[in-house]
Amino acid sequence: MVLSLFLVIILFLIVMQAAIPYLLKNTIVFGVTIPEGHTDDKTLVRYKKTYSATIFFIGLIGLLIYVIWAIGNNLQEDKIVFTGLILQFGILLISMGLYLYFHIKTMKRKRDHKWGDNLKRVRVADLTSRSNDEMLPSLMFALPIPITLGLIVYTAIQYGAMPDMIPTHWGPNGQPDAFTAKNPFSVIALLLILGIMQVMMLAINYFTKKSGVKLNASKRSTSRIQQLSFRKYTSWLLFLVSISMTILFGFFQLTTIHENLGGPTFMMMMPLGFLFIILIATAVYAFKVGQGGSRVQLDIDEEPIAGVTDYDDDAYWKAGVFYVNKNDPSILVEKRFGVGWTLNFGNPIGYLIIIGPLLVILGIAYLLD
Amino acid sequence: MFIQIEPTSEIPIYTQLANQLIELIASGTIKASEALPSVRSLAADLGVNMHTVNKAYHELERKNIIEIIPKSGAIINSISTKGPSDMQLDLIKLHLKPLIAESIVYGMDKEQILSLTSSIISEITEG
Repeated sequence: MVLSLFLVIILFLIVMQAAIPYLLKNTIVFGVTIPEGHTDDKTLVRYKKTYSATIFFIGLIGLLIYVIWAIGNNLQEDKIVFTGLILQFGILLISMGLYLYFHIKTMKRKRDHKWGDNLKRVRVADLTSRSNDEMLPSLMFALPIPITLGLIVYTAIQYGAMPDMIPTHWGPNGQPDAFTAKNPFSVIALLLILGIMQVMMLAINYFTKKSGVKLNASKRSTSRIQQLSFRKYTSWLLFLVSISMTILFGFFQLTTIHENLGGPTFMMMMPLGFLFIILIATAVYAFKVGQGGSRVQLDIDEEPIAGVTDYDDDAYWKAGVFYVNKNDPSILVEKRFGVGWTLNFGNPIGYLIIIGPLLVILGIAYLLD
Repeated sequence: MFIQIEPTSEIPIYTQLANQLIELIASGTIKASEALPSVRSLAADLGVNMHTVNKAYHELERKNIIEIIPKSGAIINSISTKGPSDMQLDLIKLHLKPLIAESIVYGMDKEQILSLTSSIISEITEG
């Protein structure tokens, strides 16, 4: 059971990591801005292929060894989990190393060939993009919060009838495997974590909405449509995560109060269902929408505007992955390598909304021990 | 309604931004009583400091081209039908004179300057 779960997750990770170069805008290769006209450069295409193939094959070989080793030795579950996690970190580490290697090579290639030196470097904005933005209103993200509050009230009412030991952790089969003594804090700890995550997602939606709609200078209309789709689907995905997490955590809370609520099959199916919904939604989002909407297929075939290219803000991207720009009012910006959003480290509010809640969640987990 | 700025140009970004907005209004792309995006969102879209956009908006307000209304934002004023005021005319003359002088120094004659001017006018009004 645990093994097949890890098999799915690791396979998912390998495919995602290997696919990244193909999910990005073609004007940004390994975190380096590539001017229009050089995006099909043969060497860059080879870099992408080498990156993907290396991760894919090393990942698959690692996974194969892991599975054979786990089955052959008839291991304990915790050993399978531990090694599975090590393997995941290993794949991420190899991806990062390879990324850095190709980031440096791409930068060097761009510099040596003086790409874009004869082009006008501009930034483009569309005055109407805000009125056409179809991101979900932040109010929608506030909707699950009253459910959490309601569950806290319900837990308070049921407090007397609850068992003396409160589950704090559930195993892969859905059965609780760690407990803590009952007290007013431990009975609602799970709901507090849920509430913090709901607020965090509300904040993420709010700040992505405020962040800039970044257009491609030479393909304005295409990139505008792609950007707006990307924003829309990002908020839908986030909303799906928020809702399904509310259902999962709410369900766990109810089974804590009423011990025989769902039966063992249901207890197992809930987290599995949650996991698969999130994995499938993420995969669909990554492959159908792509970073910045780069995989959104359009009927129009826009001729690139000659003589201009995007203003090169590579200097603000440390190692091509960390964005530090005090002047940019965006708190969340689109990633350069990967699908999704990242922080503008030049803006302290960013740390507050992402790192703050995580610290509180860790604090709650620590207090339960 | 695209705005294009060139961060490395010698013309300050706020001036570029103000000039582009004026052009969009002159060509009729942005119409009277329409609202400009908020300072914050336009600054985010262009990836520039909010003060830069704020400065451009205030310059337009000073020139009476937009009106900044608290809460509703920057609203475009209608194009004047009475022609420029004396003060505006003086200002235009002040900016135009050195450019025309420069053209003469470059060896342009009256014909050339007039035809260049009229071609710029059609470029703007025909979008």
